[in-house]
Amino acid sequence: MGTFAFKMPDIGEGVVEGEVVEWMVAVGDMVKEDDPILSVMTDKATVEIPSPVDGKVTKVIGEAGDILPVGVVCIEFEVEGDGNAAATEEAPAPKAESKPEPKAEPVPEPTPAPQPKSEPAPTPIPAAKVERAAGTKALASPAVRQRARQANINLEHVAGSGPAGRISHADLDAHIAGGAAGASQVRPMGASARTERNGTEDIKVIGLRRKIAEGMISSYSTIPHFSYFEEVDITALEELRQHLNATRPEGAPKLTYLPFIMQALVKALEQRPECNALYDDDSNVVTRHEAINLGIATQTDRGLFVPVVKHVEAMDIWQAASEMTRVTSATRDGKATAEELTGSTFTITSLGRLGGLGATPIINKPEVGILGVHNAKERAVVKDGQIVVRRIMNLSSSWDHRVVDGHDGASLVQLVKTYLEHPATIFM
Amino acid sequence: MVEMNMIKALNSALEVQLAKDKNVVIFGEDVGFFGGVFRVTDGLQKKFGEHRVFDSPLAEGGIAAIAMGMSINGLRPVAEIQFADYIFPAYDQIVNEIAKVRHRSGGEFTAPLTFRTPAGGGIKGGHHHSQSPEAQFTHTPGLKVVYCSNPYNAKGLLTASIECNDPVIFFEPKRCYRGPFYGDPHNVPTWSGHPDGDVPEEHYIVPLEQARIVREGSACTVIAWGTMVHVSEQAIKDSGIDCELIDLQTLVPWDRDTVVNSIRKTGRCVIVHEAPKTSGFGAEMSASIQERCFYHLEAPITRVTGWDTPFPHTTEWDYLPSPERIAEAIKKTQEE
Amino acid sequence: MTERVTATTKPYTIGRPPFRPGDDADFGGKFTEQPGDLSRPNPIKCGAQDTVLHATGLIRVLDDEGNASGEWDPKLDSETMIQGLEYMMRLRIFDDRMIKMQRTGKLSFYMRSFGEEAIAIAQTMALETQDWIFPSYRQPGAQFVRGRDMVSMICHCIGNTEDNVKGRQMPVHYTWKPGRFISISSPVGTQFSQAVGVAMASAYKGDDEVCISWLGDGTSAQGDYHYALNFASTFKPPVILNVVNNQWAISTHANLATGGRTFAERGLAYDIPSLRVDGNDFLALYSVTKWARERAGAGLGATHIEVFTYRAGAHSSSDDPSAYRPNDEFKCWPGGDPILRLKDHLIGAKLWDEERHIALAKKIDDEVMTAYKEACEFGDLASGPYPPASTIFTEVYETVPWHVQEQREELGK
Repeated sequence: MGTFAFKMPDIGEGVVEGEVVEWMVAVGDMVKEDDPILSVMTDKATVEIPSPVDGKVTKVIGEAGDILPVGVVCIEFEVEGDGNAAATEEAPAPKAESKPEPKAEPVPEPTPAPQPKSEPAPTPIPAAKVERAAGTKALASPAVRQRARQANINLEHVAGSGPAGRISHADLDAHIAGGAAGASQVRPMGASARTERNGTEDIKVIGLRRKIAEGMISSYSTIPHFSYFEEVDITALEELRQHLNATRPEGAPKLTYLPFIMQALVKALEQRPECNALYDDDSNVVTRHEAINLGIATQTDRGLFVPVVKHVEAMDIWQAASEMTRVTSATRDGKATAEELTGSTFTITSLGRLGGLGATPIINKPEVGILGVHNAKERAVVKDGQIVVRRIMNLSSSWDHRVVDGHDGASLVQLVKTYLEHPATIFM
Repeated sequence: MVEMNMIKALNSALEVQLAKDKNVVIFGEDVGFFGGVFRVTDGLQKKFGEHRVFDSPLAEGGIAAIAMGMSINGLRPVAEIQFADYIFPAYDQIVNEIAKVRHRSGGEFTAPLTFRTPAGGGIKGGHHHSQSPEAQFTHTPGLKVVYCSNPYNAKGLLTASIECNDPVIFFEPKRCYRGPFYGDPHNVPTWSGHPDGDVPEEHYIVPLEQARIVREGSACTVIAWGTMVHVSEQAIKDSGIDCELIDLQTLVPWDRDTVVNSIRKTGRCVIVHEAPKTSGFGAEMSASIQERCFYHLEAPITRVTGWDTPFPHTTEWDYLPSPERIAEAIKKTQEE
Repeated sequence: MTERVTATTKPYTIGRPPFRPGDDADFGGKFTEQPGDLSRPNPIKCGAQDTVLHATGLIRVLDDEGNASGEWDPKLDSETMIQGLEYMMRLRIFDDRMIKMQRTGKLSFYMRSFGEEAIAIAQTMALETQDWIFPSYRQPGAQFVRGRDMVSMICHCIGNTEDNVKGRQMPVHYTWKPGRFISISSPVGTQFSQAVGVAMASAYKGDDEVCISWLGDGTSAQGDYHYALNFASTFKPPVILNVVNNQWAISTHANLATGGRTFAERGLAYDIPSLRVDGNDFLALYSVTKWARERAGAGLGATHIEVFTYRAGAHSSSDDPSAYRPNDEFKCWPGGDPILRLKDHLIGAKLWDEERHIALAKKIDDEVMTAYKEACEFGDLASGPYPPASTIFTEVYETVPWHVQEQREELGK
């Protein structure tokens, strides 16, 4: 036995209620489908409503003269089978007692509008342009534009923090408050889509930037680089990484891919000692190192640095991860010591989120090789004749072809690939 | 003040006009003895006689032309087009004749008449009992276009329309005849207890060309007419955002000052209408608003409208702007 | 026929129906016109001037006792007549079931053919299967003749997942291409002049097709009615144009729809042969339609027919006729009940009997009940399921344009 609840239908194109003229059934009556049960009068018509089911009347709502709102359960039946409802405890009262309240009331707690700050006095701001994606103009609402115009601010010089780099009132406030500080974010050159500009700005290449430039020139002009690329299926590695992260010891850092690559390199470089070497081209001596000191190319606000994780061969993965985090953080914070920044025997370069598909890394002279790590992404690959989704990471490498043969460099990369694709072997 | 639903309020407006001005005549399909399929003219024939309130043949083109002829010759006809969907046989008469007679005759002849017509969806009326064709008339110079939303403004605006010396197309949101509609078809209240359900029995007008600020707010201006006023009210409540809600009331000529002042305050605007988006009146408003408020805009002007499709039957709740869709649009304006 | 009743006081004339609520409706008991009064002109030699009496009189075959007589008797075999009776009974039982569904919220709206069952059924039976049907909302019965499945019809009325118009139209707005049954549209009368265009295309292509259309007495006030007659008069395509004068257009009586005498007479002014037929007389309807088809098929152009009948039920499920006419008015309509009249004729001719009639009614009732239950399996209005919301966006154009596609994506259903 189940309960069938029947709701007052809209019987006439937008009718909202009906007045009960007569109930033709009472609680306890047995009715058949189609038996008349209710005569109801709307402002359009008086109609007879037949029973929608066979069953016993268990509840009837309202008496003659009562108003039944459309959509309210007006009668319930006990029926064979499940019915369509749970029996109601309290029937909704007809309209005579309670009217549906108008739903919309004034909102009690309005959220105040984001208001633009009062218009600042026009402040001349040093002309310097914010770098945006090529071909993109400064984006801002008309209201922000109006304020900027009144404040004599060129929006091309204001950094935007909103979606798609949109400039908000807050960005404008920050720009105004920042004054000349805004200039520090700028780059010298750039094209405008709208107006011709003819100014230039000279930046002296000095200090660290000069040192980087000199190092690059030395490396690139004296070392015949050969570059080699490979893709690595890291689906299993990713699973292991997730597992290790989920179960990592307290205080241990979250593992990125780099510590695994470092560990794999330890194994591979042990087998290819010609790759873990320094080449003194003045004296024509290659010195192979037993210690595996891995340089980690690190981008900082001041430029490129290569802090070193020393003796990775003596570390487990957690230690390697911790040490790498320590030296790179110290470097970014400008607190790295000279010792932490020298002594590498091989370098890893990873652009993180800018990893891309591949690159041709420049060797950190006098080392003889460098490994580039690129984006890991899910890709469709063919495996055993099926197209399957696998997580793929690209590796690129460059080698000093004077002392490392193509075969040797490639072999090193293939070893790393094999370890990474079978991550258990890294730890054997 | 008496509690009235919109049907009774419109009936009251007509009754007052019939009593006040002997040149007012009412006609249309089923409006005489029966009192109209929606009962708006109920009892008026009995009270004022069958020469002043009468049934016409089923011919909207004829109704429009007869009304124009009468109005040229000194009467003030209030003709009913039973559903706005059925106004199109009258379109030629309305657009080419009634709208232009003042201008084309150098002001010698005028057509002070009113067409009342139930419009809008929400009653499972399908393609031809649900449309909201206001934009087909706002695009015609010479016509005033009015859209009421509750019993109080229905009576006041209809009174002002009848007394207006220009032809008026007066849209009545049929979903709101018996109660405000907040977008929930399973919970449709009556006008009873609603502040706008209190209607004076005597003559009054709600002036044409003036919008009504339903609620004040600072974060976003929401503009709507007809049923969508109530649906928007619900959406604002649901969004928790302090919106200013404007019931436009007259679409042509619309109350630009009220709208512009509001948007200069809020910097944000959502326009809601049931009619399809393309070439809907929201497009006209949006264009005018950006001309007047461009440098005050914090976010793009957004329209929440019926789709660019015929009005459906079974799936009408997926067609009409819902409180959810409107609230979503309001929230989006705040993200800028 | 009924006398015109008008208010004759100044300033202008207001048409009135013969009776209002509270009046004793009385149409004088019986028609004065009798079977045999009117000749049956040779259809392929007949001009409009030969139908003056037919446009002002009333073509009947069945008399008040159920006997068939006169030149217009189509002399149908018993099988055809019993088939016609079955279709009419089916339509009435079907309509009653649909109204019950409407009253219990299973569909939104309904319009019965009550009292007018003979019209679409007899007239469609008199046509060929390749002929086109341009109905108003009171001719769904033609679909029974053309063999449409009731489940499919009910699914349309509900607007459920099996509705062939995908929940887009109100109930009763059937469309059914296999039966050459054109989609019904709510704006009244538009189909009438379209039907003339269909007939012109048939003539252009040289196809042996006739197009039939119907509209109501009230709708004959629309321009479309007059466009149809004028184009039909000018181009003489194979079309049959029927004005169903059922006395009432919602609350508006035919006396307010025209100041003339009969609707049929209007056709004479367009030089179209015009007939006025008892719309509750199955045999007369069949006969005049055969006659009109013969003319059309012979390339002689249109026939204009006034089908004189009475709308026994409410206009629609939203209407309450007790507000504007006496409740029992239909009971004294001289044309009686079309089903009973054909039944009485068959029994009188010893081709039918009460027992078979009751058994047939029971069989149809069971079939309708079964169809209704089956249709509800695909969803009813109260509880769904409904067609997917994506049906809003399809078939607006041949392909979905970008702006409609964007809106579909915005809805996200």
